[in-house]
Amino acid sequence: MNNLLEQFLSEARDFLQGIAEKLMQLENDPNSTELMVELFRFVHTLKGNSGLFDFPEMTRVLHASEDLMDAVRNGRVSYSQTLADQLLEAMDFVSALMDEIELTGKTGSNHVGTSTELTNALRALLNAPNAVHVPVAIETYTEDGLAVKAISWSELPPMDLPESTAMGLHRCAIDGETVLWLQYTPEPECFFKGEDPFFLIRQIPDVAWRHIILNNTASTLAEMDVFSSQLVFQLLTIASAEELDDLLRYVPDQIHRVKVPALAFVKPSGNSDDVGLDEDFIINILEFFDNDEIETLTNTINTMLELSSPDLWSSSALRWVLHLIETEPDNKPVQRTLLEALRTQKTPDWSALTLPDVEPTRNVVASPVVSINTSEVSDTLLVYFHEVIDAQKEILSLPATSGGAWSAGRLKAVGATLIGCYRAVQRANEVEHIEAALQLALTENSPTPLLIWLDNSLLDTHEPVLVEEHEEHIVVNHLAAQTDAKSNRRSEEIGGANIVAASKTLKVDQDKIDRLMNLIGEMVVAKNALPYLANRAETVFGVRELSREIKAQYAVINRVAEEMQDTIMQVRMMPVSFIFQRFPRMVRDISRKLGKEVELVLEGEATEADKNIIEALSDPLIHIVRNSLDHGLEMPEARLAAGKFATGKLLIRASQESDRVLIEIIDDGKGIDPDVIKQKAYEKGLIDESTLERISDQDAVNLVFAAGFSTADVISDLSGRGVGMDVVRSAVEKVNGTVGIESERGKGTRLFLSLPLSMAVTNVMIIESNTQIFGVPMDMVVETVRVPRAHIRTIKQKQTTVLRGRIVPLLSLNDLLAKSEPQLPNEDDEFATLIVRVHGEHVGILVDDFRETVDIILKPMTGILGGLPGYSGAALLGDGSVLMVLNPRELI
Amino acid sequence: MKHILVIDDAATVRLYHRNILETAGYSVDEAINGIEALEKALVTSYDLYIVDVNMPKLDGYGFLKEFRRQEDVLQSPAIMVTTEAGNQDKILGYASGANLYMTKPTKPNQLLSYVRLLLGEVA
Repeated sequence: MNNLLEQFLSEARDFLQGIAEKLMQLENDPNSTELMVELFRFVHTLKGNSGLFDFPEMTRVLHASEDLMDAVRNGRVSYSQTLADQLLEAMDFVSALMDEIELTGKTGSNHVGTSTELTNALRALLNAPNAVHVPVAIETYTEDGLAVKAISWSELPPMDLPESTAMGLHRCAIDGETVLWLQYTPEPECFFKGEDPFFLIRQIPDVAWRHIILNNTASTLAEMDVFSSQLVFQLLTIASAEELDDLLRYVPDQIHRVKVPALAFVKPSGNSDDVGLDEDFIINILEFFDNDEIETLTNTINTMLELSSPDLWSSSALRWVLHLIETEPDNKPVQRTLLEALRTQKTPDWSALTLPDVEPTRNVVASPVVSINTSEVSDTLLVYFHEVIDAQKEILSLPATSGGAWSAGRLKAVGATLIGCYRAVQRANEVEHIEAALQLALTENSPTPLLIWLDNSLLDTHEPVLVEEHEEHIVVNHLAAQTDAKSNRRSEEIGGANIVAASKTLKVDQDKIDRLMNLIGEMVVAKNALPYLANRAETVFGVRELSREIKAQYAVINRVAEEMQDTIMQVRMMPVSFIFQRFPRMVRDISRKLGKEVELVLEGEATEADKNIIEALSDPLIHIVRNSLDHGLEMPEARLAAGKFATGKLLIRASQESDRVLIEIIDDGKGIDPDVIKQKAYEKGLIDESTLERISDQDAVNLVFAAGFSTADVISDLSGRGVGMDVVRSAVEKVNGTVGIESERGKGTRLFLSLPLSMAVTNVMIIESNTQIFGVPMDMVVETVRVPRAHIRTIKQKQTTVLRGRIVPLLSLNDLLAKSEPQLPNEDDEFATLIVRVHGEHVGILVDDFRETVDIILKPMTGILGGLPGYSGAALLGDGSVLMVLNPRELI
Repeated sequence: MKHILVIDDAATVRLYHRNILETAGYSVDEAINGIEALEKALVTSYDLYIVDVNMPKLDGYGFLKEFRRQEDVLQSPAIMVTTEAGNQDKILGYASGANLYMTKPTKPNQLLSYVRLLLGEVA
């Protein structure tokens, strides 16, 4: 038995016990509303629980009990001894069913009789036994159910179409289109026959509404048999019969089709108003109608609509009347029946009405199209999307009286919902607009800005795309043509405003921006003091509430500060073209001097990065380009001899990869000969003899970055100035960048620099060692692990451990900082170990403990401390103390 | 991981929702009535609330009204889940601060679709 069923049974027993107790107490105190409310809640909850499972007999009885108790609670039915007996009997039946479920996991089919009897008896106690019509919550369709049995359209399950969709479909049907209701019940084994029900259903064109029913007997997802299809698809389409025949030719026996006449869509929906429309009004409009004063009629109805809430059933019915007058002006009986229905507030039974065969009376106006999109976002999701959006519109349209004044909380929640929805359907570009509308709504304490945005968004951005993509799609009237025109005008205004805004730029002194940047840096640090303060408020001064309030305020400040920082960062962004632009001239000059022919290609000049990064990049890049021209590209004769074009190619490319800028310098020259490098490195004493023998080619190529390495045989005045690529590397590493090289002999060399987009704020992890705290830049930290002492092995006097099948050397931070104290393990005798990436290798640094990560403004060491190795800088912490930030690259 | 608070007095319904949501990779907390829900929601910022209507002590409407009144909390979307699906109940729920209405028993796929939408997760 699964956990859910177990839970259900045990809880249900409690409820049954509770119901019995409450009934007993009610015997003594039959007028206690409190007891009745309790009793109702028990029955109600129990019914709700049973609905989660497929125990129809139980649910039916409980449902009847609930309805009865609801009536008792509201005073519609008075409590009596008979009633209590009947309820107890029903509960005994439920209890018996539960025993059976516990034993066999299901209920037998022999209970249907008892269940019906009990239900009828309970319903009989309600004054109007037939008044309560309750649709079964989960509709299950068995093999011998709907799919095979011929049904007429009036027996179709309720479809719950939005009014606008229903009107659009009605219009289609009136205009002579065949609207088909289609039910597709794939065979459970269909997956083994190579059928794809989802694909098939998605192939069906011109779908206006669809619904998927999970015909599932398993009670949990885990229990579900994923290899058999348990779905039933229902949809409405105006596709032609031939088209459908062709599409569904392999599964004709699993399809049920019903032609839906126009009238079936005429189904007003909404709240029934207790009072209903004024009888005088109804008499009046019927008179207008009978005298054929259609214009007066429509005017009166329009006035009424303006006066009453749009959510009322009667308003919906009136809109339908207008719709019918527009689309079927000659179909008087239907219009009259609907007008008369205003008295009862119930949709007339159209099947009773003889359906006149109405000829199309007018052409389809190019009505706005809604909601059926077959792009990447799945159809079902889009249907749900529109449901949610409609719900938000409904919420925003609620009159202030029904829910009190507009509260900021509700507006924010609607905003959050909208943002979520638009993100989920991959329209995240709308998010900032929603946020703007939300802000406006909050300031005005009114839902209007959000409503306006929603109307605009649904018309302006959504539709054109859809119409373009699915011109052939079904026409569903969504919004009246006049709103369309109105919003177009609105969008023009907005568009105009954008143009004006876009042309406004401002030249600002760079120093001012830098100062702003420094200030925001200070602010980020200052705001970090708030959590400390909150902590102190709680621990030192013992005021929890204040602490919580400070934390809440901190969240706000934090968000604003981060936004501000982002914005300023944006201002500081510069395109790399700033440094790229000098290369054409430089390459031309140098290649002339060397007698080489070079074609320079620049790519991604528009890529942006922080000004500091761009500036720091300038010198290394020049150095690399010179190197490529000098050592990489060969003389034309050599190139021709090697079978290449005489003109060499030098490509400098910038691109953005997530939060880093990648710059590549690629030449098609002679490449780097690893053997030559090895030999040089050996001669210069950079590697010893044993290394010389086993070093891989890639490692050898990497040696060009070693300090004091220069391969040029003749020191030219271009690149060989005694300094080599090590200068490039240290310059790049200074701004937290990395540099790498790939080379293929005879084919060319690719050098790549990867740099952060910005270096304003550094995220560091705080660690503790020898009672001191240090920071380690997060971008160097691969992971943090706790290594048990037993797992530390000593290989050649070096501590190591094996992490995921990889040997990782371990170094103690105290050793690295020349402290004699040993590292402290935790109580489980494990050492906190920081795995960092240094020059492409993973190294573990043992520390005493990990702390949190913080954003800091890293200030490089200056003056005498500037030369201190092992540290990349210092930063101020929120509590005012100084955090020394380690540089593991130098430390190791 | 997105954090969802399921508020329902019936343990079975809570477990039902927990099963669905956890299988889909969400982290789930439970509250058995409006009061407990408020206590939790004011401490933890949940990304989504799934709220039953009929509960002892403080019902779903009451919880939402109180919660939406809070100024310094993250006003995440709320789905109201109930057996009463009358339009009047719906309006009441919306007016209290719900963002969506679902009828019990919720269908797992529908629930998950809504949850993904409200959480802004691209499928």
